Amino acid sequence: MRHTSLVTVYLTFLIAMLCQLFPWVGQGIIFRPDFMLVVLLYWLLRAPNICNVGTAWFAGLLVDLATGSLLGQHALSFSITAFVALSYQRRLVLFNSWQLTGYVFALLIIERVIILLLKLFEGNENPGWHYFWPIVTGLLLWQLMTLMFGELTRPKTK
Amino acid sequence: MLKGVHQKLEAQQTPAFFVRGPSPFSRMVFFCALSVSIMAIDARLNYLSHVRQAFIAALHPLEVLANAPSEWYRNINKYFSVHNQLVQENYALKQQAFEHQVMLQRLSTIQAENVHLRSLLNGDIPIQPKAVLGEISHMGRDPFTHTVVVNRGSQHNIKAGQAVVDSNGVIGQVTRVYPFTSEVTLITDKELSIPIQIERNQLRAIAFGEGNNTLDIPYLPANVDIKVGDKLVTSGIDGVYPAGLAVATVTKIEQNSESPFAKIVSTPVAGVSNHLQLLLLELPEAKESDKPQTASAEVIEHKKDNVNLNKNKAKTNATH
Repeated sequence: MRHTSLVTVYLTFLIAMLCQLFPWVGQGIIFRPDFMLVVLLYWLLRAPNICNVGTAWFAGLLVDLATGSLLGQHALSFSITAFVALSYQRRLVLFNSWQLTGYVFALLIIERVIILLLKLFEGNENPGWHYFWPIVTGLLLWQLMTLMFGELTRPKTK
Repeated sequence: MLKGVHQKLEAQQTPAFFVRGPSPFSRMVFFCALSVSIMAIDARLNYLSHVRQAFIAALHPLEVLANAPSEWYRNINKYFSVHNQLVQENYALKQQAFEHQVMLQRLSTIQAENVHLRSLLNGDIPIQPKAVLGEISHMGRDPFTHTVVVNRGSQHNIKAGQAVVDSNGVIGQVTRVYPFTSEVTLITDKELSIPIQIERNQLRAIAFGEGNNTLDIPYLPANVDIKVGDKLVTSGIDGVYPAGLAVATVTKIEQNSESPFAKIVSTPVAGVSNHLQLLLLELPEAKESDKPQTASAEVIEHKKDNVNLNKNKAKTNATH
């Protein structure tokens, strides 16, 4: 396992939080990727000794507080997603980068669906398909993360 | 021999090298239970509003930092605005101010007359609510709700429940107050309803937010006297919104033969997305609203006395 410093991890979390707090207007809020979730997933898969389900829960709680939604929603969805992510974490070395992207795609879908279910229970209306845009933009953000901090998959052997 | 080694290995606990504390599954179960209980507490009880307030206050510097780029952009735009444009705008504003002043002069005489007439009829004298000017700092971050965040909070004596208007009409109501900011729920939000009146025929109704950018007026009979283009204003019977503020215009009326009610859709007139400034109207205090009533009660008593006096006078006159 490659070494990752604690400072890098928490600094990226701070930046993700800042991006989350950025005043998104109009169409921006539809396409806004879930910064905290993508950063969290990256560090969960990359450095499971630093990030865990508990980290996910705290990150979710911060998102809840910042967005002003019902407290605990994102905490719940982040913890479940983190659990699913961690359950296959040790097999990731066998994945190629496309498979890994597919895996992250599935994780992002899981998170969105959990939030959607919670919101529907709360009495909100079905937001329509544009609700799922953050998954696509989240994948783009994931690519950015791997560019900045390195691939998760095994480097290709000749 | 080999078999024995295997057995030994199996009997052993997992080596300390692999130990990562509780398994992810047990952690997941624990944190899920925790978040579900937090959700229940937050939804049903109001214990967590203080936690939220404290957190938002602590987050304020970070928020200012996140808002900084857009603030700079706005300032730079202001800085480079053309002289000619400014002169034109100044001219237009002066003209507008002049027109408004003329209208205000009429308004003050009409208001005085109204107060006088109301006092003659022993009616309540409406109080003019005070207002605080605020600026939208950003739209709400939860895409499911229709909210904006305003740069005025409990430090500026803002209270939850205050009505918020702009120059065109009603925007919504303050729902959460933080130390430096407050959250305004728009009238288009599903949670909010607003008592309205049709300007043309004074018909009272209640408009509900629909979750998209329209208002719905349910429970009105299919043969109700509403036309497309009718203006809806606040009726003022709730004590939150002062009467007569513009709310919305009717854009669509559907009469379904299956339903006894008409489906009336209207769009709000206030332009939340167009400009940043808005007014937070002060809540009418219960004590203050009681005062005019007692005053009018006094007036009534006074009048009764007068009447009695007059009667006595008349009697004395008659006897004389």
